[in-house]
This record gives sequence, C-alpha cells and structure tokens, in this order.
Amino acid sequence: MLILQSIGAATERLAHAFGLYPLMMAKVLARMRKPPWFFALIIRQCEKVGVQSLPVALLTAVFTGMVMALQSWVAFHRFGAESMIATVVSLSILRELGPVLVGLMVAGRVGASFAAELGTMRVSEQIDALWTLSTDPVRYLVMPRLIAVIVMMPLLVVLADAVGMFGGYVISVHVLDQNPHTYLRNSFEYLQLIDFYSGLLKAAVFGFIIGLVSCAEGYYCAGGAAGVGQATTRAVVISAMSILIADYILTAWIFQ
Amino acid sequence: MSDHSLFGPTQIAPNCEKTVKQGGDAAKPFDDQTAPKISLRNVHKSFKGRKVLDNISMEIMPGESHIVIGLSGAGKSVLIKCILGLLRPDSGTILINDEDWFDMSIEERLRRMPCIGVLFQGAALFDSMCVWENVAFVLLQQSMPRADARKQAEQMLEMVGLPDIGDKMPAELSGGMKKRVGLARAICHRPEIIFYDEPLAGLDPVMSDVITILLKRLHETMNVTSLTIAHNMKLVQAFSDQVSMLYEGKIYAQISAQELQETKDPLIRQFVEGRAEGPIRFGFESDMSGQPGANDKEEVI
Repeated sequence: MLILQSIGAATERLAHAFGLYPLMMAKVLARMRKPPWFFALIIRQCEKVGVQSLPVALLTAVFTGMVMALQSWVAFHRFGAESMIATVVSLSILRELGPVLVGLMVAGRVGASFAAELGTMRVSEQIDALWTLSTDPVRYLVMPRLIAVIVMMPLLVVLADAVGMFGGYVISVHVLDQNPHTYLRNSFEYLQLIDFYSGLLKAAVFGFIIGLVSCAEGYYCAGGAAGVGQATTRAVVISAMSILIADYILTAWIFQ
Repeated sequence: MSDHSLFGPTQIAPNCEKTVKQGGDAAKPFDDQTAPKISLRNVHKSFKGRKVLDNISMEIMPGESHIVIGLSGAGKSVLIKCILGLLRPDSGTILINDEDWFDMSIEERLRRMPCIGVLFQGAALFDSMCVWENVAFVLLQQSMPRADARKQAEQMLEMVGLPDIGDKMPAELSGGMKKRVGLARAICHRPEIIFYDEPLAGLDPVMSDVITILLKRLHETMNVTSLTIAHNMKLVQAFSDQVSMLYEGKIYAQISAQELQETKDPLIRQFVEGRAEGPIRFGFESDMSGQPGANDKEEVI
C-alpha cells in the first residue's frame, strides 16, 4: 500500500511538473506576436547568460578537448592509427561534446540562477507587484531570459568548439608529438558542414529547454525558501536530463 | 513643499485610463461618483475543497477608505488578490469602475492597471533596482525620460519622509523604510484606487504610527478610494470609513469604525480587544480564562 502511495505521489508530482512547461510555453507563444519586447532586458540577459558563462564553458571545452586527445591516442596507438586523433577530437567536439557539455554547464549555472531568481520574486510577491504595476511578468521576466539563452547557447558552443579543438591540438602536438600541419589538416579534412550546424541546432534546442524549464520552475514556485530551493534543484536536474534525452533524439534524427 | 503642490493638476497619471461603463454609452467616460469603485457580487473561492471566500458581496464607493479585518487565514489576502486579478474566483463577479476585468484580455487589463496602486505586505520591492527606480517603475515603463521619472520619484520619497535614499538598494533598507518606499511606489503614478495589504505588519509601534499618519494624510490629500487589510485597531480607527469583518470566509459584519467600537457582538469584541477567550476558539484553553478544567478542544478556525 505504501509503495502504491509513493508511486501515486511521484506520478502526481511528475504530471504537475510537466504540466507547467506546456503552460509556460503557451503563455510565451501567446505574447510573441505583439510588443513590447523589452530589448534592453534581452541584452542584459544575453550578457548574463553568454558573457558570464564564457569562463565555465571554455574551461570545460579546453579540458574536454585535451582529455579526448589523450584517450584517443591510447586507443589509436594500439593499431597504429594516431593520425586519426585529430578527426575524432574535432568530430566529437562539434557533434556531441561541445553542445552537450556547454548545455549541462549552462543548465547548472544559468538554469539554477533563473529558477532561484524568479522563485524568490514569486514568494516575495515581486511577480504580483509587477502585475499591479501594469507590467506583464511573462513578457518582462520570462521572455527576455528565454530568448537570451536560445540566442547565446549557439554562440557559446561555437567558442567552446574552437577552444576544445585547440585543447586537443595542444596535447596532440606538444605532448604526443604529432605533426602540427598533419593534425590541422586531419582536423578539418573529414568534417562536413552538417557536423557544425547540427551542433548549433542542438545548442539552440538545449537553450530552449534550459530557459523553459528553469523559468517555469521559478515562475510557478510556491512554499517559501524551501520551495525556491526545490524549484532550483528541479530546474537543474530536469534541464540536464532533458538535454541528454533531447541529444539522443536530435542525433538520431539528424544523422539517420 | 506642500503635499498639495505634489498633487496639483499638472501631475496626472499619464495612462490612468478612464474606463467606460459596460453596456452603456461607450463615449461616456466613467466618472460617476455615485457608482461603486469596487463591487463584489457573490464571490466564491476554494482551495483543495476548503472554502476561503464564501459568497462575498461588498461595494466600495469613490473616496471611501474601506478596511477588511479578520483573523489570520480568514481569507483577507485571497480577497485582495481576487480583486487585483492575481487569483480567479471560482464564481461571482468582481467589478472595478463597473467593469469585469476577468472578461478582458491581458493587454486590456494591463492598460487599466495604472488606476491601481498596491502596497504589499512585505513591500515587494524589486531587489535588482535601486529605490528611485522601484518608485518610478510605472513611469519608466511608460517611457518617461529617466530624469523626469527620477524627479517625480524623489518627490514621492520626500513625501513619505525618505529623502536622499534614491540611490540605495532595497537590501540596505529597514522594514519600515521598505514599507514607505513601497507606499511611494504605490502612489507615484497617481492611482484612483489603492490597496494596502497589512501595511503595519512587522513594524514597531512608532513606525506603525508613522505609516498610519502617512496613509491618513495621503487619503485626505489624494482623495483616493482605498481597500486595506489590517489587524491593527488603531489604524482601523484612524483610517476607515467602513469596516468589513471576515470570519470563516464570509463577511460577518460590515459597519463603520464607530460602530465597530460600540458593538456588543461577542465575536467582534473578542477581535477588537484582542482576547484569546471568546467565541473564537483556537484548540487550547487560555491560562487567563479562569477555567483551567475546561477541555473543549474543538478547533473553529
């Protein structure tokens, strides 16, 4: 009986959580057609999401590229195919590691910030106050954040791709004694434009997921400080899980 | 600078749209001083099967200061949130300036919002903005030049006794200062109707007196209609034309402040005198009841 109750409660929580996202999406879509757009707020959020996430994203990317080069060398050295390291590193970073790792980092940094900020505004009646001050909270708070994270994620991924590939180059050339010209040639020779574009598409989708989940969790937050904490945790966990699931779906769709 | 100079004829809220009677002459602005500013008819609201508002009907006339009193959990804040459109009632009608805002689109409701000012219980100042930006929020959203908006915000801050704090952040203010900044924000765009949600909650007696005087002065100067949620009897006496007492989700009494003091109704007397003993029971017996043997644990509220 206790197990059934637990399953029932978990299902109810899940339905509640996933009901929020379509609801928030519907509110955003309903407001897309007409101004005001709050461009100044979009720019400010772009700075928060993009510029302030840059160190985390680039650091993640450079070490991922370095580790990829080392791990690939271990595998390819066993059958004398070390020249393929460059191709594997660049393909992995552009198609998978760049967008996914940056997505997870941004989910942790920006998603948590969105949920905590909006959640605190909700429980301290600041969102109610916005409404009474003739300002639509969805337009003022949610849309700039959602647009900013959708726009900035691909830009972050482009920089992370470049830095990740550079990390692989540094390790391959300076630690594993690969020829720099051969490495650079192999890095780009087998690449196709779709490898690059698919990463950007994934980045934009992940940005949408992070923005929607974390804004919805914060916006519909209830229950005081504890509620804000729970909303923040849910925003990060659900964003991260959704990114991994969406990554598989997008990969299967793009490269089928 | 006198208060009158602040509220002279040149300082009219730019977008305080005069609303139009539904079903009447569309060209005629709503300026009927005999019609209620706020009207509630048979309003019901429940949460998870618990009736919080049960058939509430009331009218607030232009220029009236109406105070709603009642125990914590009686439904006062839900009532104010329903009127403001933050909660949708399960049934019943709420009219502001003779219009049902729930029948309108979001854009239409937002266009009418400048007619309303709200002082929230915790002030609800925006943490990310400095004090003057908080006060001038509506003006800035209406694209008023920042210098002009700041000037007007500073005037409002001066009026609530807080000059020279415009550049401070809300986190640097005390509770009483936040309340006064919240008050300045509520009146900065010259609303027709002001809602005060427990304006004295969490304040010391001196600051409570300061806020009470401010509210009274503002009411007299601006001649606005106001609806206040309050527990403080001193505020009720100083500030109210009409008092509604909410009890168990219903309006138990609707009387003047004078009648409130003179009534012999035991329930109202218990609330007014702030006694634990009386018809309202809390699931325990007070040590002051003089009946230590009593064992009635029935929880009424």
